[in-house]
Amino acid sequence: MAEVDQERGLVYDIKLSSVGPGNVTGQDSIFEARNMDLAMKLHYIRCVYYFGSRAFEGLTTLAIKEPIFVWLNRFPMTAGRFRRDESGRPYIKCNDCGVRFIEAKCRTSLDEWFEMSDDIAMREKFLCSNSIIGPELSFSPLIYIQLTKFKCGGMAVGLSWAHVLGDVFSAAEYMNNWSRVATGFGLNRPINKMADGPTKPKYFNGRVKVSEDPLSVKRVDSVGDNWVFAAKRKTAAFSFDVTPTQLSHLRSKLSRNGIDSPAFEAISAVIWRCIAGIRGGESEPRIVTICKRSEDNEKFRVLRNNQVVLVVKAESPVMEANPSDLAALMKNGGIDERAGIEEAVERDHGLPDFIVYGANLTFVNLEGADFYDFEYSGQKPVRVSCRIDGVGENGAVLVLPAAEGGGGGRSVMAILPENEVAAVKSELKREGFLLMG
Amino acid sequence: MPETTAAPPNSPTTVKLKYVKLVYQYLVNHILTLALIPLLLSLLRVGPTEILSLYNSLHLNPVQILCSAFLAVLISTVYFMSKPRSIYLVDYSCYKPPVTCRVPFSTFMEHSRLILNQNPKSVDFQMRILERSGLGEETCLPPAIHYIPPTPTMEAARGEAELVIFSSIDSLMHKTGIKPKDIDILIVNCSLFSPTPSLSAMVVNKYKLRSNIKSYNLSGMGCSAGLISIDLARDLLQVHPNSNALVVSTEIITPNYYQGSERAMLLPNCLFRMGGAAVLLSNKRRDAARAKYRLVHVVRTHKGADDKAYTCVYEQEDPQGKVGINLSKDLMVIAGEALKSNITTIGPLVLPASEQLLFLLTLIGRKIFNPKWKAYIPDFKLAFEHFCIHAGGRAVIDELQRNLQLSAEHVEASRMTLHRFGNTSSSSLWYELGYIEAKGRMKKGDRVWQIAFGSGFKCNSAVWKCNRTIKTPADGPWTDCIHRYPVHIPEIVKL
Repeated sequence: MAEVDQERGLVYDIKLSSVGPGNVTGQDSIFEARNMDLAMKLHYIRCVYYFGSRAFEGLTTLAIKEPIFVWLNRFPMTAGRFRRDESGRPYIKCNDCGVRFIEAKCRTSLDEWFEMSDDIAMREKFLCSNSIIGPELSFSPLIYIQLTKFKCGGMAVGLSWAHVLGDVFSAAEYMNNWSRVATGFGLNRPINKMADGPTKPKYFNGRVKVSEDPLSVKRVDSVGDNWVFAAKRKTAAFSFDVTPTQLSHLRSKLSRNGIDSPAFEAISAVIWRCIAGIRGGESEPRIVTICKRSEDNEKFRVLRNNQVVLVVKAESPVMEANPSDLAALMKNGGIDERAGIEEAVERDHGLPDFIVYGANLTFVNLEGADFYDFEYSGQKPVRVSCRIDGVGENGAVLVLPAAEGGGGGRSVMAILPENEVAAVKSELKREGFLLMG
Repeated sequence: MPETTAAPPNSPTTVKLKYVKLVYQYLVNHILTLALIPLLLSLLRVGPTEILSLYNSLHLNPVQILCSAFLAVLISTVYFMSKPRSIYLVDYSCYKPPVTCRVPFSTFMEHSRLILNQNPKSVDFQMRILERSGLGEETCLPPAIHYIPPTPTMEAARGEAELVIFSSIDSLMHKTGIKPKDIDILIVNCSLFSPTPSLSAMVVNKYKLRSNIKSYNLSGMGCSAGLISIDLARDLLQVHPNSNALVVSTEIITPNYYQGSERAMLLPNCLFRMGGAAVLLSNKRRDAARAKYRLVHVVRTHKGADDKAYTCVYEQEDPQGKVGINLSKDLMVIAGEALKSNITTIGPLVLPASEQLLFLLTLIGRKIFNPKWKAYIPDFKLAFEHFCIHAGGRAVIDELQRNLQLSAEHVEASRMTLHRFGNTSSSSLWYELGYIEAKGRMKKGDRVWQIAFGSGFKCNSAVWKCNRTIKTPADGPWTDCIHRYPVHIPEIVKL
């Protein structure tokens, strides 16, 4: 506990304020949440962008806030608050309430922060807000931005993003828009159309009519206006890097027919097998969910939940399976569940509460997320980390791109039940990961 | 003031009455001209030769003529020397807060809920006030107040003061072309923030004003201090020939944000917003051509002798020791009485003879014949083209509109200023004037009546006459939003 207190003391001088759109959005502006958005509402994305001292050098808080007022003019829904309509379906009232802006300081320098011996993933909880939507919908910000200044002048920009607004790819693009406004480039995407159609499901084509929930979601007990999922077993997060050498070694190890296995599937297959080995027998995860960036580029909506959600079933026990078979299965054997998810939400008129990440063991391919396009004062982030909150008991693994100039490595964030973490770590060490300890 | 029961506007009786009134007004107001007509007619009948022979019969010798001429010259010189100097308002400039200071209703309510989380009743009260306040979504608070909880340090307060005052003065100097070395008199009024060195010293320091400048800093005088500063400037400009005066009116919000939960003291938090104005007055003859307005009258009324009036806006500590301004429930009544006193003094100075006569007759009638006769409320719309009522709050504007029987257009400047900028205290009158100019309604010869109320309880009025028709300004706080105004302000805004 002393360690935690010490950590808590690491980040201090916390100041809260709000930043909203510069222009008045108007009395009657609302933003409808689609079925897919509502399916994801119990999840929260927590990203931390680390910058060296030159990025925010000499900038006062007011100078940093100024472009945000311009930026938010384009995304008034992110500054709004949720309400419920007569049928109880949530929607966002764009009332310019704002995103919460947190300023903090850290006692260590950026290098010291990275070098500290304990898990960086747990420490990152202090660099970005851990808030959720609720217990009062109309007073809960959807987005929190935290700027933590390190002793050396480096800065951590922490984004806490409600998944109901959009997937990780949207969140990254949203931040990139901020960086473009701050640099004065202007925004290169059309504005989110405000009333762009009602909640007509996008993927639901009327043919798939199932009366039971799809495999990729888990229905949870009604949470009311408190949008948080409390798993029975607490989850913990840890992260590790996969160096380019380790990655190419792994990919060739898992190659089939002379072609190297793709990076995400290779890493995920190995981790799947490790976890299967630890859970063993009855609790072996035969079904996994895979999320990745969608190919279609919806022109009019920058913020959207349209990542691909696939379900992969392994026929034979995973523990003994060949990882390259698993990788191939993950690459080709997935069934798109998006229509089913939308239908499940629509059936109950947008009211049911689901979790997606962690309903099954979930692997999220964030290679396509443009994290490193977020520049400030011409400086790219030295590192970006991403975590998801509200993950179910089966856990989730996120595979992120490594830092620019990292030469093609990857960064992995695993969110698993607390009691599995140690065992998984030792298994991964055996496989050649986590060599740094 | 007692209410008048109005007959339905378009009935035949009212129309007839209107015409009768018009004829009466024309007769009385032009009585001198009308009296001269018979005289002129008789002169014409008499003929020029008869007048000449009348003159010759007077047997005036050169000495007598010279003496009379000398006397005439002496009298006119004495007259011109003792006439009060004309005070001109060369130009003025209002502060436009940056969009980063904007406070939408929803943000204000959310912050209140977080700060006052122990007192949900106080939060509900603030919500009700805000719904009915008449403020819009673009009013601004200084950066320190945007924090949860607010961080009102001395440094932040000075920062706000510098931001508001220096921006206003810079803008004014740019508009008028005046150099800092030319400023002879400096008056700064800010009621609730009074640091050492004073705000006027801060201005002297920033702009490197002359060491023999006559500087004054008025603090504690409430929302009517703007006109008190103008009055002081006028008196000083009577004494010092060929001078100009810079008057800065503002209210610094940062140190005065009430942090407690007493309802009567939360009201100012909902209404007071960031704002300031800088005004350049001059008594120099060469400014007469380019000045915008000429100051005609300033009338100050102080009701502080009455205890109820004295305590109706009172700064005090709440039971938890937090300092705030307590507004009493009698505020509107006291304001009405203060207005009545002020009008009694200003009426004879500005009202046309017809109105004064009517008022006098009804007064005599009430005193002698029948006390039940309703008191005659003079029609001030005959005396002024434009009204600037201090945007103290919706209730104040409603009350004055009723008392003075003004139309919606007359109070439009006040209502729209309250909507766009909130209650900016002593500078609100200048924003209102700016609104009228931005709408292109200010013509040469128009008379403006500025009325301000403030703690004490004071009611101060200033009367200005427009010196030249004013084109819509290219800069100013209203330039980017005037096309949206006037807006309809609903009775209750749904939050």
